Amino acid sequence: MAKQLLNAGSDVINKGIVSVEQQLRVERFLTYEAALMDEHEYDRWMALWTGDDITYWVPCNSDDQDPNTGVAVIYDDRPRLLERMMRLKDKAAHAYRPRARLIRNVSGVVPLSATKEELEVVSSFSLGEIRTGTENIWFGKCHYVLVDTSEGFRIRWKKVLLLNNDEAMPNLTFLV
Amino acid sequence: MSTRNSNIIGTDRDYESLVKEDRVHSSIFTDEAIFEDEMERIFHKTWLFALHESEVPKEGDFKLLKLGRFPVIAVRDNNNEVQLLINRCRHRGAQVCEASQGNAKAFQCWYHGWTYDTKGELVGVTGEEAYDKTFDAKDHGLTKVARVGNYRGFIFASHSDEGQSLDDYLGPAKKFIDILVDASPTSEIEVKPQVVSKTVYRGNWKQIGMDGYHPHYVHVSVFKIFSKRESTTGSAVGAIHLEDPFSDSSPSLTRGFPNGHAALDFRFQRLPHAKDNMAELQQSEDGRKYVEDMIAHHGKEHAEELIAWHGDPHLGVFPNLQLIHDHIRVVIPVSVSETQVLMYPVFLKGVGQEINNKRLRAHEAFYGPASNGSPDDAEIFERVQRGLEGDANPWIQLGRGMNREETDSDGTVSARISDEITQRAQMQEWKRLMTE
Repeated sequence: MAKQLLNAGSDVINKGIVSVEQQLRVERFLTYEAALMDEHEYDRWMALWTGDDITYWVPCNSDDQDPNTGVAVIYDDRPRLLERMMRLKDKAAHAYRPRARLIRNVSGVVPLSATKEELEVVSSFSLGEIRTGTENIWFGKCHYVLVDTSEGFRIRWKKVLLLNNDEAMPNLTFLV
Repeated sequence: MSTRNSNIIGTDRDYESLVKEDRVHSSIFTDEAIFEDEMERIFHKTWLFALHESEVPKEGDFKLLKLGRFPVIAVRDNNNEVQLLINRCRHRGAQVCEASQGNAKAFQCWYHGWTYDTKGELVGVTGEEAYDKTFDAKDHGLTKVARVGNYRGFIFASHSDEGQSLDDYLGPAKKFIDILVDASPTSEIEVKPQVVSKTVYRGNWKQIGMDGYHPHYVHVSVFKIFSKRESTTGSAVGAIHLEDPFSDSSPSLTRGFPNGHAALDFRFQRLPHAKDNMAELQQSEDGRKYVEDMIAHHGKEHAEELIAWHGDPHLGVFPNLQLIHDHIRVVIPVSVSETQVLMYPVFLKGVGQEINNKRLRAHEAFYGPASNGSPDDAEIFERVQRGLEGDANPWIQLGRGMNREETDSDGTVSARISDEITQRAQMQEWKRLMTE
């Protein structure tokens, strides 16, 4: 999230707002989340979300597109995300069968702010996709609100900024 | 402008023999030379949808388009008229505008500085004194697209000086366009050039037509989801009733119009649900106001029809426009085996925020690269394209329902929802233009 990092204060960039140990926990969590997405482990990925008030948002046309006045690639609350999971798992959802082979690298993980309960984090990814003989490369940045629970981090809010969100896109046949 | 006479890459194929009444030869989807001919004989000749006038509301507002092979600037000039100008400097040919949309007083070519106003007039030539006295800037304005027409805000363009008027071209399809425009209680819609789902599939442009036969197979995963809901807000202006509109025992129809236009005509299937739709709208403040304003503007009877029809013409206007559910869809052929599909959600004017918000969410649910509908269409189009590459038994069957077509009083032809009238109408127009 270039913009959030450019606007971050020196405590975020220089000192860091969490301990080194906490930083590594966040990085391991996001790497684990990426692995679940790469392997299409939908139920286990869905279990990473916490609470009824969640948002999974992939804006279209611009990183700052307002969902009240513009369209989104994905703008899911929990009910909509659960329906998405149903479809991703359905063998008759043709765009997802055969499933894409995926590898993504997560990097640039920086915690931006913390409250007692929530941790705001940004990261970026590059992703290779192979499906039906075609290779696509995707890039994006992620913005999270995580909650630290007794079972580890959980996701409350996630916004994904695809580099090509204003270009003609092929089917997005996997989770980002 | 470009007509068949200026076609330098034309083929001598016998297109008559490739399109029969009940079948077409698959080479029209796979042959690169045929694609080149389509550009000249269809996209550089007939009427194309360009943009909706609300996309450039103020003087100087512009948007870039591709009409056939031509890069075009659509710009509202200082007389409040929308100009369609070929985006090509009259000096050495560079594009004079690169931003996809915005507002400008003038367009300057950054090669040598020639400058054009919003009417396309050449108003600045760097070092004009070096040109001969016979050089007249008036002769070197940006080239205008040959013909421009407007039906209720929908701006169409033709690269040919001659041919049918837009009015004749649209013919009885106009009243289907009305279904969308009149879903607004002020009969005004808004399209935003920066609010659009842009997708691409690796298949021929003619695959994305109107088809009432595919939903039970292509979209079976969505039907499963719908079956778990109590009602669906398919088009947001009222709920689409769960009764299957794609059953041949339903009153849904396929309809073919003159000049290749085609619709999935759900009017008779939806009309009996008007009361339910009104009742659902009555449950919210914005919905109540919508019903009230629709009745005030359109009269009770027509308002009920319009609400039942959901502002969804489900119309294809040959060759590059479709009006489906909540959106305006523009089909852009890139190559014989690659097609871009731009889907602009339509905002209704004169309604509360909740109505347009619901329409947006309903649009996102079914349309776009990660939605639950259009990706399965794109996937199937790609499977078709891969299958067609081998031309064993090359004839594609489009004869479904030929024995039960009916001709209506307005000259349109209709049959059951799964019948291939729509494909036949499109292909007969394709043949007419390719052999004209």
